[in-house]
Amino acid sequence: MCRVLIVDDEESVRAAIERRLKRDGLNVHAAAGESDAIEKIMGAEKPYDVVMTDMVMENPDSGLNVLKAAMEADIFTEVIILTAYGNIANAVESMKRGAFDYVEKNIPGIDVYDLMSIKIAQAIERRQSSMITVRRIDQFARTHEEG
Amino acid sequence: MKSYQNTLSQPELCLIRQISALASAASSLDELLQAILDKVIVSVDANRGFVALVDFDRGELLIKCSAGEGWDAEKMHQRLQLHASEQKGITTFVAATGKPHCTGDVSKDPYYIKYFDDVASELAVPIVDAYGRTRGVINVESPKKNAFLEHHEALLLALANIASLGFSIDDHRSRERAFVEIGTELAASPDIPVLLSRVIRVAAEVLRFEDCSVFLLDKDRHTLVLEASSSPLKDEVGDASYRLGEGLTGWIAEHGQPIRTTDPRNDPRWRGLYREVPTDDMAAYLGVPIESRDGIIGVLRVLRRKTRFPWFQHSFTTEDESVLASIASQVGSMVQNLRLMDRVVGAERMAAWGEMSARSAHMMGNRIFAIKGDLNELDYQLLQPEDNREDYRGLVESVRGGVSRLEEMLQEFRDFVLATQLSLLEQDTNQMVKESVKEFFPKRSKVRLEAIYTTELPKVQADSGKLKRCFAELIENAVSFQLDGGLLRVSTGLAAAKEAQELCGLSPKRKYIKIEFSDAGPGVPDDDKEKIFNPFFTSRAKGMGLGLSIVKGIIEAHRGRICEAGTLGMGARFIIFLPATGL
Repeated sequence: MCRVLIVDDEESVRAAIERRLKRDGLNVHAAAGESDAIEKIMGAEKPYDVVMTDMVMENPDSGLNVLKAAMEADIFTEVIILTAYGNIANAVESMKRGAFDYVEKNIPGIDVYDLMSIKIAQAIERRQSSMITVRRIDQFARTHEEG
Repeated sequence: MKSYQNTLSQPELCLIRQISALASAASSLDELLQAILDKVIVSVDANRGFVALVDFDRGELLIKCSAGEGWDAEKMHQRLQLHASEQKGITTFVAATGKPHCTGDVSKDPYYIKYFDDVASELAVPIVDAYGRTRGVINVESPKKNAFLEHHEALLLALANIASLGFSIDDHRSRERAFVEIGTELAASPDIPVLLSRVIRVAAEVLRFEDCSVFLLDKDRHTLVLEASSSPLKDEVGDASYRLGEGLTGWIAEHGQPIRTTDPRNDPRWRGLYREVPTDDMAAYLGVPIESRDGIIGVLRVLRRKTRFPWFQHSFTTEDESVLASIASQVGSMVQNLRLMDRVVGAERMAAWGEMSARSAHMMGNRIFAIKGDLNELDYQLLQPEDNREDYRGLVESVRGGVSRLEEMLQEFRDFVLATQLSLLEQDTNQMVKESVKEFFPKRSKVRLEAIYTTELPKVQADSGKLKRCFAELIENAVSFQLDGGLLRVSTGLAAAKEAQELCGLSPKRKYIKIEFSDAGPGVPDDDKEKIFNPFFTSRAKGMGLGLSIVKGIIEAHRGRICEAGTLGMGARFIIFLPATGL
């Protein structure tokens, strides 16, 4: 089962996302803010497959700090950033730093929860394909050594 | 003028020297005039005398000092009435001509009006100032015929000259006092309307410029609008206006030059749109430009009314003009300072607005996001074959909670926006505080309430609804931080000038009402004492954390201040200062 970490400082938001993602059969964990998230990422026995984090929490760029921690723990952990609707500057910055994608929280007329569900599925797919690629490279290297 | 030495006796010369010395030593003009009169009736062997002064505003002669037999308060008053109505009498004649008048047999004198039965001789000399205006008349009487001789008249004239010097000194003292008062008033004025009304009050009371008005140019610099007046024009403040260049007042603003005239109606620039006094009563006009670093910003003008006395000199002097110009220049720089302050405050508020909008959008966006999550779940649940009614209820409750949080935020937002829009009325501080405590202090609470109301406080100009909102916030704060019991102490009183200055930097020249809410809760750390009033600084879950920033906004819109002056661990102590009215 894929491990997903949800990071948001609003309890009701965490609960709603958790509930939605559990419906997709994911193993969902939650953190209540930047520092809680970094602690959980660093302390996890097995890295999270996907981290979905709000951008503005304790700091205006809390999301970027969570992204950095996640990638330090496992370069192949996919990170999705939640941003306020219309805050493209923030989204672009997070993409530059290696986020998988971003989701705007309040898009008028769109059910963002379904959108999140799709993005997470895509992120998991990319992580899995990255893992396969790594495994193949490993295999190839080993075959050559043996040869 | 005749040489005194030839006509005056040695004792008379001695008296002149004595009075000269007093002219500079006397603490007031009244003291000098009384001394002259007392000495002179002895010296000229008169049985009675008085000094009448010209009241320039009413154009009347008022008896200022009296000496000798037969005077009482009623007589002094009657004498004044007589002069005002009959337009004759020796004193009035002397005031009108500026020449002395001596009669040895009043029964044959055409100007004499009988007032005391025993008068046979009368001698009156004018007190003429440096501008040639009669300021008063010294009058002596005797029951003997031909009692006053040429040397008596010479003595009185000499003493009248010294009295004239006394007038100059007195004028300078009033001007000095006016400038000091205006300087003080200016420094203590919180806004432009208050500033202008105070300047006009001082101009009227100290400088005797009774019909005084201030016009300021509007933002486009095309129109002069009446901002304050001590005349009946005050009912038209905000309405009466001249275009730049229109009328005498508009001309002054356009050219930056003063106008001083005794015949404003025949001036080609005259329009007479707004008059402090009816046109027919207008005798003299003096207007000066009000300048600031940015150029002309308005006009300060004074008018003098005609009197019933044709001889009366109405004209304003060059000295009047320079005094008015000095006042105008002080007003100019103060108005500019106040406007600058308003701009700075406006800019700060705009910056706060940007921050405020971003933060509220974020907080509200989050709430809505959570509500959409609940709706997504509800949608999903409704598609399931089994009926999960319990789940529906939970989701509906969650949506309701979210909507209610949103409404709280909107309410706070509205309060924040409207904090500075007040409808002010004269209010009783104690009553507002009492009503707030009654309404918002919980009926059953572990917190003990102590209230100390100082009676007979001056009133405040306040929006009672908004102030009660502030008091409610402070009461609710105190209660919410002492859920396990504690104390709320509410008190009102007159603020000590030193405390208001030290805590909130308020001018010690103004009177403030102090309202205090202190509790026995955890208190506020020193580092947070100012931050607690910032928007979004909160340690409570309710709303957006605008509570104390709204309180601060409302208090400051009342031109008051609020601060927290408690000690950490000893409880919070919120102190509000509100400016008292009429002081």
